[in-house]
This record gives sequence, C-alpha cells and structure tokens, in this order.
Amino acid sequence: MNDDIILQTDHLSKSFFKYQVLTDVNYQLTRGMIAAIIGPNGAGKSTFFNLVTGYHTVSGGSVFFRGQEITNWARHKIARIGITRAFQVSNIYPKLTTYENVRQSILAQQKRTLNLFIPAERLAKKETLDLLETTGLSGFRNTEAGILSQGDKKKLELALALASKPDLLLLDEPTAGMSSEETHETMELVKRLNKEVGLTILFTEHDISVIFGYAQKLSVLHQGVLVAEGTPEEVRQNKEAQACYLGEEI
Amino acid sequence: MDNKNTMFQRFWLPAALFVVALILPFVISEFWVHVFNEILILGLFAAAFNLVFGYMGQLSFGQAAYYGIGAYTTGLLMVKLHWPLFACLPVSMITAGIGALILGYFCVKLRGIYFAILTMAFGQLVFFIIFQWYSFTGGDNGLQGINPPEWLFKAIPYYYFSLTVVTIGMIILYFITESPFGYTLRAIRDNTERTEFIGINVQRYMLINFVISGMFCGLAGALWGPFNRSVAPDLCSWQHSGHPVFMAVMGGPHHFLGPMIGSVIFTFLNAFVTGFTEYWPLVSGMVIIIVVLVMPGGVFGIIKEKGYFCPRDAGDVKNE
Repeated sequence: MNDDIILQTDHLSKSFFKYQVLTDVNYQLTRGMIAAIIGPNGAGKSTFFNLVTGYHTVSGGSVFFRGQEITNWARHKIARIGITRAFQVSNIYPKLTTYENVRQSILAQQKRTLNLFIPAERLAKKETLDLLETTGLSGFRNTEAGILSQGDKKKLELALALASKPDLLLLDEPTAGMSSEETHETMELVKRLNKEVGLTILFTEHDISVIFGYAQKLSVLHQGVLVAEGTPEEVRQNKEAQACYLGEEI
Repeated sequence: MDNKNTMFQRFWLPAALFVVALILPFVISEFWVHVFNEILILGLFAAAFNLVFGYMGQLSFGQAAYYGIGAYTTGLLMVKLHWPLFACLPVSMITAGIGALILGYFCVKLRGIYFAILTMAFGQLVFFIIFQWYSFTGGDNGLQGINPPEWLFKAIPYYYFSLTVVTIGMIILYFITESPFGYTLRAIRDNTERTEFIGINVQRYMLINFVISGMFCGLAGALWGPFNRSVAPDLCSWQHSGHPVFMAVMGGPHHFLGPMIGSVIFTFLNAFVTGFTEYWPLVSGMVIIIVVLVMPGGVFGIIKEKGYFCPRDAGDVKNE
C-alpha cells in the first residue's frame, strides 16, 4: 500500500437488515489532503463515517488506516490510533463547562484519565486555554456547554476532536447551524490546521460554497454507491455527479 | 486571593460539618451518639454508592452486596480468627472490591435499567449465598459477638473511631471525584458516545469505578459489624441497597456531600419516627415523594437553585 494513503476502504458495505445502505465503496484518501464526500440525504455519507470510526459494525469489506486494517475495531481504539470525528448533531458534554469539555479530551489524549489523586483542575491548563483560543471559545470557558449556541457547540465539538491530536479528522457537516461568518471562520480554521500541522481532513457538507471552496478532492455518493471522484472541477463536469447530486450545471 | 476565596467556598461546609461532628458527643445523649454513628457509616456507604449513581450516571440497586461482604469479612475475621479490627478494615475493602470486580464485570456491559436490574440480581445472589451458607456465615442467624477492642467498646469512642475512618474515606473519595478519573466518570455520565470517541475505554473505566465504589461500600460495612456487634444477611438485601439510593436522592446526587446530608435526614428521621410509630417505611416513602416532586435535585439541588451559596457539584467547576 502506498505510504501516502492515510485511509483506504476496500469494498466497504453496510446493510441494516435487508436495506443496503453502502455498497462496495473503494475509497482512498491521501495524507495531508482536505477532501469531501458529498451526496444527497440518505446517500450513505454519515454511514461511511460511522463505519470508518467504529460507530457501526462493517457488513462487508475492510477499512485500512495508514496501511493497518482497523475493520470493526472498538471506537476508543480507533480514536487512539489517530482518527477522530465530529458529528452532524453536536456531541459534547452538556453539563460540563466549555473548559472542562476541552480539558477532558486533552487529558484523554495525554493518557492521564486514570490518574486518581491529582486534581484535574491542575492539569493541562495551558493546552486547554490554547485550544479554546484557537477555536474562538475563550469567552465561553466557564459557560456550561449545554447552553452554548448551536454554532458554538459545533466549534466546541471541533475543539474536542482537535484535542485528540488526530492524524485524520472526520467532520460530518461541520458548519451545520452556523452563521455564514461562523462557517467561514470554522472552515478557515480547518484549512489552517491542514496547512500548519498537516492534518488530513475528510468532511461531508451540503453547502456548495464550502465544498467547492475548501475541498481538494470530492467523492460523490449516491444510494450507497461511489459514483464519481476527482478534483472539484472534474466532479463539476461529471455528468453522473450532476445527475444524482448537483442536479444541474453549476 | 481568588484561590483563597475558591478554597473557602469549596471547603467551608465540610469543615463546618466536621467541627459539628467533633462537638456533638458532648452535647447529645448516648442514644443520639449511636444515631450519629449510624449516620456516618451509612453516609460513607451512600457516598461510595454515589460514585456509580451521581458521577457515573448509572443506578445500582446492589451496592448492599459489597457493604455486606465488607461487614461479613470483618465479622468472620474478628469472630473466627480473632483478627484486630484495624487489620479487618483494609481486608474488608479488598474482599468487597474483589466481589465488585467479579460481578461488576458483567454489570458494566449494560446501561440504564438493565444495569440497575443486573446489579440488583447480583446483590440478591450474594444475599442468598450468605443466607443459605449456615456453616460459614451463620445463615439467617447471622454472626454475633463482633466486639470491638475494649477501648472502643463504648458509644463515644467508637463514634470518634467511625468519624476518623469515615473522614479519611470521604477525603479519598473527594480526591477521586476531583481527579481526571472523576471527570472521566462525569464525561461517561454526560455522553458515553463522545467519551468513546475521545479514546476512552468506557467499560474499563466503569468497572474500575464500580470496584472503587464496592471497596468503600465494604469499608462502611466493616465499620457496621463492630458497631452493631453483629451482622445479618439482610445487610446485603435489595431493600438495604435502596437506602443509599434514598440518601443520595434526598441529599442531592450532584453534590459530593449530598449523600452524607441524605444520610443525616434519612437516619435521623428513622430514629425519630420509629420512636412513636412502627410505620417508618410509610414516612420515608412520603419524604421521598416530597423530595422528588418539590426538589428533584435533593437538598443541594434546591440550595443551588435558590443561590444561597454555590457549592461545586458533580458536573460543575466554575473556577479553573
């Protein structure tokens, strides 16, 4: 396997009872890239993420990360080897403060969560404050996360994912619920992380401007089948992609 | 200065309670010293239970099993092998911890109502083993003659002994709840799914916590035997497992001291009400109904809601 390939799936399939939601998806993602998977609702984008991150069990095929097979690994093991994700609906700790949310993820990354006797508040202060600053959440550090706005919850979830210091970050509709300004800020942050730390990013999104503005590679899923792949320009010109997702010429 | 304020805000209440507990035997009768001794022991039991309930978010209806294992370990060691009480306490924690490890291994695979039912089923299993095993545990007769050393024989010395052990136990539990491990429990309670996706093996942490809780339930049980001079199988029964649930709910499961305050209310009411009626369960049931309807967060929940003072709770740190 090519060393540059960070994620690969071979004939990845998923069925729920008799419903086939993903069929023989062969996908490759190159290290250091920002890529997007697009497709209409129900195309199988989130299912693809769920299979890669261990959220669902794989019905057929395999998943490889940096050349190592990780098919049906436990979720925490997949997170530990360097794949983290943000969900479509923000998935945070609503009763902890924003600061505690981020600190928890940092302590998990630092493997300090089994520490029983040092007060948590003494640990990972600088890292937590830095990450809050980076994600624009410094002003909310003492706010209970459950009462943050939808956009800020999304930012917080991104912070939780980044705290894990992943090699591959999967973002499921990262800007859903955000204002256009927040969307721009968030995607610029994603782009910066990609450039500065070489983080590989794979996202799904419905906002065409975000997709074509930030993704270097697009893959189109339709009814669980990968129908087109290429640069944004190639996909824009692809008749099949136009037919099943883009609808009309853009 | 901020640090000093934070420290004061955090510790004034436990410090005040400790001072009151120190003074109490000088101002109350021996009967009430017994009652407060019971409050301390059951308070530790409830605080240990609350690691699973308030912090980890799972209701266990079987913690009395580990309380009973601790009580019987001390009882058996003291009666049959004549071990000193001090040596029995850590051994009781270990045996209760081993029990919690074996039974908890299965329980932590489940969540919610299934977790509660399995903990209760295992609790009843322990109860029936103790109940039936006449040759070893004394069966339904229990064990008698678990006498503490002579210098602890009277109510007041044993009260101070309990106060010391319970205080040490509570301090250790407090450190655990404020540690990264304690925050991981809160994280599991708040969002198990996210906790897995930040790389934490949730089942493993739940099991470790279940064992820690079992060990401290065992320590409380170990104090109970010599206090009561006897142990009986109903210490392990599911009804007894309900007591820390009541206490945590009454006091407030989202505050570290909630279960201890719940123990004060529950045990005090028990002692008071049984003085003039045999229908104590009816009264305790009514109190629970009132608490659940009027102050669902328990005593600490209502105090916090009214903003009288801002103690830290099991999901809340305002000062980093």
